[in-house]
Amino acid sequence: MHRWRTPIEFVRKFVTSLSFKLSFYAGLVMFVALLAFTYRTISTQEESLIQERIKAALKDSEVIKAAIWNGMMTKDREVIRQIVEAIGSHEGFKELNIYDQKGILHYTSNTDNKSGIGSASPSQSDSLLKDISKNLDMRYRFSDDGSCLNVVNPLKNTQGCSTIACHGSADNTPVLGALQLKLPLEKFRARIDKQAQETLLFAAGLFLLVSTSLGLVIIFRVIPAIRKLQANARNLASGNYNPQSQDYGSDEIADLARSFDEMSQQITQSQTKLEESRRLYRELFQKVPCYLTVVDKNYRISRSNEAFKNEFGDQSGNRCFRAFKGRDSKCENCLVDRTFSDKLPHRSEEIWLTGDHGEQTFVILNTSPIYNESGGVSEVLEMAVDVTRVEKLQKQLKKKEQQFQTLFENVPCYLTVVDRSFRIAFANKIFMEDFGEAIGKNCYLVYKGRNEKCEDCPVEKTFIDGTIHSSEEVWHRNGETKHIVVRTAPIEDDQGNIVEVMEMSTDITEIKTLQNELAILGETVAGMSHDVKNILSGLEGGVYIVDSGLRSGKEDRTRTGWNMVKKNVEKVSGLVKDILYASKERTPEYEECGIADILKEISDLYGKKAKESNVDLVQEFDDNLGTWYLDPKGIHSAISNLVSNAIQACHSTRAKSSFYVRIGARVENSVLSLWVADNGSGMPEEVRQKLFTKFYSTKGSKGTGLGLVVTRKIIEEHGGTIAVESATDVGTTFHIEIPLSRPKQVQASRSM
Amino acid sequence: MSKKILIVDDEPDMVSFLQCLLEDNGYTTVTARDGEEGLQMAKSEKPDMISLDLLMPNQTGIKMFRELRKDDEIKDIPVVMVTGFAKDDVPQMDFKVWIGKRSIKPPEAYIEKPVDKELLLQAIKKAVG
Repeated sequence: MHRWRTPIEFVRKFVTSLSFKLSFYAGLVMFVALLAFTYRTISTQEESLIQERIKAALKDSEVIKAAIWNGMMTKDREVIRQIVEAIGSHEGFKELNIYDQKGILHYTSNTDNKSGIGSASPSQSDSLLKDISKNLDMRYRFSDDGSCLNVVNPLKNTQGCSTIACHGSADNTPVLGALQLKLPLEKFRARIDKQAQETLLFAAGLFLLVSTSLGLVIIFRVIPAIRKLQANARNLASGNYNPQSQDYGSDEIADLARSFDEMSQQITQSQTKLEESRRLYRELFQKVPCYLTVVDKNYRISRSNEAFKNEFGDQSGNRCFRAFKGRDSKCENCLVDRTFSDKLPHRSEEIWLTGDHGEQTFVILNTSPIYNESGGVSEVLEMAVDVTRVEKLQKQLKKKEQQFQTLFENVPCYLTVVDRSFRIAFANKIFMEDFGEAIGKNCYLVYKGRNEKCEDCPVEKTFIDGTIHSSEEVWHRNGETKHIVVRTAPIEDDQGNIVEVMEMSTDITEIKTLQNELAILGETVAGMSHDVKNILSGLEGGVYIVDSGLRSGKEDRTRTGWNMVKKNVEKVSGLVKDILYASKERTPEYEECGIADILKEISDLYGKKAKESNVDLVQEFDDNLGTWYLDPKGIHSAISNLVSNAIQACHSTRAKSSFYVRIGARVENSVLSLWVADNGSGMPEEVRQKLFTKFYSTKGSKGTGLGLVVTRKIIEEHGGTIAVESATDVGTTFHIEIPLSRPKQVQASRSM
Repeated sequence: MSKKILIVDDEPDMVSFLQCLLEDNGYTTVTARDGEEGLQMAKSEKPDMISLDLLMPNQTGIKMFRELRKDDEIKDIPVVMVTGFAKDDVPQMDFKVWIGKRSIKPPEAYIEKPVDKELLLQAIKKAVG
């Protein structure tokens, strides 16, 4: 794997290698430690050896002193000299000298220094020998570069010494001389040196051993693991995140390697994620259903997505304003510029030109910055959503809203929108004009002045079932009676919940009136044709009988026929009169008149006919009912019709033997009550119900149906009402009520 | 021996007219002013034919027709209806509605008012035989 070009390079590589460094420094540390240990051991050992040597020397000097003292006591100088020479020649001693108190040498074992005996010692060179007479203690020191131990032991003045003439008069001197021992230390030193050398050698050996074995351990045990690690790391660096080997073992390096693997796995994962999001982003960019372009500082399009390309073609390299709008210069209020300068997204609504013909497309444009590594804006993303449809719909909606509003305001009926709590949320102009301010108030209050909701409320029904309800109502407002059709329709929210109900009220009073009038007209025509048919039959019959009478010369027959003709001509004139009353929009001709007079006139008129039909005509009114402002001809006509009908009803039944027709009147509280009652045939319920609205004729008499229509018309013209009660074979009673006005008041109302 | 015809009608004018017309054409006539009287006359006079107004007050015409057709003594007397309503104009005025759903032999002829003299005489001739 490693190829070393030159040995120097190899050495350098080796020296700088981890194994070398580790083993070298470990060995070095051990070496130094061992040296330090040795030095300390040797120096302490040397110290103790020297101390022992000194102790021995002192002991020796005491022994020698004792031996010499005996010689001195005997004053045998030769013995002393022999002892000194004998001991001094021992290899354990280098030299043995005895000095007197003046420092004069007396004995010496040094044969080379025999000449020195009797002369003073070189006290200058040996400080131990200074002032011998005054030093009571034994002293020692090293001399001759440490190779010699010099010990000086004072020879003290003892009993007997001062009495002897040999030391003169030295009674008061405590020290009489000194014994000097010189002990050789060369051997001793040499042994220590040798020991030190051996130790040094041992240390060097140890250093080599430790370094080598450590180096070997590193080379064979650590380096391969590191190599593996290295290989994996290199693998990692080259982009391959799958570790090549996983056989690491269990030491710290293995842990490290495994951490490495974990790291690489995590890198792999995050890189996969990164790749995914990159792919997602690319996909999103291409497929998102809005126009995406990326432009640089010069407004040139560098990238665009599929939607954009489909609509605008490949505009890469073109300037955005050219591509979007066909402009030759950048747009005013350019969002790209703004995003480049402030690094913020911006938004605006724009009109772009699309297709070959440059159709206007409404878009909402968003710009957002794209950053480079250094945090600056390198490009800008332009994102445009086509809202043309929405825009069009909005316009349509607005138009529809306006149309609706116009309709709502101007439709010729009352429109309100009512919420669930029956409060009016909206009301149209007409409603506001007629009902005043209504918004926020309850509908029942505004519409009807009620304090609670109406029974059978159509709004409530629509809220419940969501369908349209309609009802006909009669409103009394400002003294007027109005027929109203109320329709309620649900208003749903976008989830189909009914949130409000629209209430449409149409005034059909006029229609109702017209309807009634039309019905009356129809009835009139039908009744008329029936009457005419009857009269025609009568006329034809009469004419035939007259003819027959004339032919046969039977005068009575001619008379019968002629009476029939006359009767039917009368009927025609009566019919025409009725038609005139019924059809003409005739203003009542009011004049002051007595009601009793009119009723009497009618009684007289029908008296004969009643008698013929065996009917008792009864008057049930006072003569003094007063004079009132009425249309006398109208009232006469109306009551006549009823009386005529009543007599006819008596005539046409055989259920009873005696009949009556009662004509009555009463004035109470300015109301005129009139009644015409008979005990004739009566009428079944269904006939009674249809009496005033449907033509119904009992056969034979002169046009009953038309007569009743006329009667009702006249009564209503007077502001009155007519009602009927009847039962078959019991009889019929008509009740009329007319409010009476004082002449003046009527006059006043007429002049208006 | 001239044939005898019973005229039942509540309208005196109509009775006069029919009486005159039929007598001029060689028939003998008897008259009744409602259904009840008509039924009595039918039994007592045994007419050869009955001219019946159906629409008389209290439906006596209808009642009479039913009774007539039920009574074995008089049920074979031919009946010519003379009435003010045209059955085509007013569907509910159809014979069946008036008579009910029971199988009653219908009238032999049906003449509308105003009466066409020739039509009536023809119908009577045919009915009487």
